[in-house]
Amino acid sequence: MALSELAGGFADALTVTNLLFALIGVVLGTAVGVLPGIGPAMTVALLLPVTYSLEPTSAFIMFAGIYYGGMYGGSTTSILLNTPGESSSIMTALEGNKMAKSGRGAAALATAAIGSFVAGTIATLLLALVAPTVVDLAIGITPADYFALAVLAFVAVATVLGSSPLRGLASLGVGLYLGLVGTDVLTGQERFTLGIPQLSDGIDVVVVAVALFAVGEALYVASRLRRGPVQVMQASGRYLTRSDLRRSVGPWLRGTAFGFPLGALPAGGAEIPTFLSYATERKLTKHPEEFGKGAIEGVAGPEAANNAAAAGVLVPLLTLGLPTSATAAIILAAFQGYGIQPGPTLLTTESSLVWTLIASLLIGNLMLLVLNLPLAGVWVKLLRIPRPYLYAGILMFASLGSYAVNADPLDLVLLLVIGLLGFAMRRFGWPVAPAVIGLILGPVAETNLRRALAIGDGDLGVLVDTWFSRVLLVLALLALVVPIVLRAVRGRRATPEELQEGSGLRHREPAAATHEGRGEQ
Amino acid sequence: MSTAAGAGPAAGNAGEDAGRHADGPDPAGPHAAGPQGRNTGELALTVLLLALGLYLVLDAANIAVPGSSNTLGPRFFPYLIGGVVIATALALGVRVLRGDRGPADESEDVDLTAGTDWRAVGVVAVAFLAHALLINVIGWPLAVTLMFAAVAWALGARGIVRPLLAGGITSIVVWIVFVKALNVALPGGTLLELATEWL
Repeated sequence: MALSELAGGFADALTVTNLLFALIGVVLGTAVGVLPGIGPAMTVALLLPVTYSLEPTSAFIMFAGIYYGGMYGGSTTSILLNTPGESSSIMTALEGNKMAKSGRGAAALATAAIGSFVAGTIATLLLALVAPTVVDLAIGITPADYFALAVLAFVAVATVLGSSPLRGLASLGVGLYLGLVGTDVLTGQERFTLGIPQLSDGIDVVVVAVALFAVGEALYVASRLRRGPVQVMQASGRYLTRSDLRRSVGPWLRGTAFGFPLGALPAGGAEIPTFLSYATERKLTKHPEEFGKGAIEGVAGPEAANNAAAAGVLVPLLTLGLPTSATAAIILAAFQGYGIQPGPTLLTTESSLVWTLIASLLIGNLMLLVLNLPLAGVWVKLLRIPRPYLYAGILMFASLGSYAVNADPLDLVLLLVIGLLGFAMRRFGWPVAPAVIGLILGPVAETNLRRALAIGDGDLGVLVDTWFSRVLLVLALLALVVPIVLRAVRGRRATPEELQEGSGLRHREPAAATHEGRGEQ
Repeated sequence: MSTAAGAGPAAGNAGEDAGRHADGPDPAGPHAAGPQGRNTGELALTVLLLALGLYLVLDAANIAVPGSSNTLGPRFFPYLIGGVVIATALALGVRVLRGDRGPADESEDVDLTAGTDWRAVGVVAVAFLAHALLINVIGWPLAVTLMFAAVAWALGARGIVRPLLAGGITSIVVWIVFVKALNVALPGGTLLELATEWL
């Protein structure tokens, strides 16, 4: 059944206009994603205005391209630029960077590109297969179940992904507050609007996302700009040799196996699967001496895991309306912008749109494979953009995107205020993603909580009425408590760099302090 | 060139400090961190978070509750979030006071060992605020050009002509693409709107 629907999606996506939209999407997504300092979430947020005037189908075809393109672009940056970048491509950077340094940049880019393609294709097909089943299961869930699901997503995103659980919770709290501002859906009462009429409609997710990611990042970079010439590695050497290919296939498939299921969990995201994939490849390799000096397995595995996780994140998003990464939250906002509410009914009410989206993901993935390697030279040029102009340009597009939502300068002032908050959060290691997810998921959680309690006549017991909600709430509790206990018992976790050196679990060194709170080994 | 170098270089060692605390039995947290005054910034942010929590809880009492039979009104969730925020802020505050430090975010163009350039942050923020207030007066392209040039200058671009030229050309091209081709509403300013009327 899923296959015939997918075929229908292909029929819709394979028109000349829609292919053109997909192409524009992947090229824009990759180009913006390649730019240093711009991760996948910021890519999607900054390019949202491009789709404002399009009809939903074209917009989502383009979005599919932007989403996967942004992922591809990020890995190119991390291989060719000798500086740490966004968290999901850090593992790729470890070995990829060394490969580029020793003149095998082209092979690193090739294994990343083909690995992304393989993982993206398998994971997207899995998404197509799994989604209808999840929807069938989800159709019977009660508001209490949904509330429990949201709570689990909150706790997981805040405590598992960030650098420290408390800072994740702090960020989540800020997001939940921002989500409260506006008019209460159920009673029509204004809350926390400070008497400002524009705030009664609530704070736009796009404004918050662009503020936290783009404006916050620009301010943060301004405060500590890396001076001196930009070091960009050459994409030199041969593409894949026969032995490179032989060594890459296993990591690609194993990376996909880590990425898709972990991405689909409520604590989705690419950090943990890429970390696990790297550790696994390091253990399984027949060339342990190359790890730390540019082992191709260390690029192939994490890169595949990264892209498979990106597809996995779409499972809870499309079937439950549950965003589990900042990027997914922005895509959800885009859906809402078209008056579409993702949730268990999405696959039935917007069936053709969803299947066209999934088909476009597969098409975009193929386009990326074909385009990426020949265009490597262009990406290298993009990496050399003088930084003053790059960040001035990012702010220009931040202004464009936020102003275009409501044509109200107040949104730009709000953008700056929240941007300053994003700057402070970056400075003190508060993760930004939980705030975005809290903002978009907070109102959903509240509505479902109140519905559940209205059904149960105010009895709190209704929240743990089903096994589903009980299990989820227990998991949420574990996600809250376990990191604290582990921290007390075992001390800090291994950093990616220590894993690269093979030193296993040890206390962290200052340079890589960001990566605490990552996958447990 | 007045850069507030005080906070910057120290923050690069932030993780080191926290690492030591995890390692050793030395409980000298506040004393070790105190003299350098390095985590006052995060403490301030945490106090701000506490204030947010208090605001949520106090202001929630002012939300009008319609006299319906609804068991859970519009006040409950704000109270819940306010409580969580207050608890988080207190716990985090204790941790920060004891010397725990968040690892500053890494990014491609960020040099964690560099001092904090507050002047650049100030120029960027003020330029952005100014452009927000100017958009409806002089149009998006011009306002954004000025912002672009100021930001580029603050980040170390040389000269005045090149940043202005780069910002001007980019903003006009972007404006034409988004307004004329994609129908996004964006004031162009009188001059540009007249000049592109034929499009």
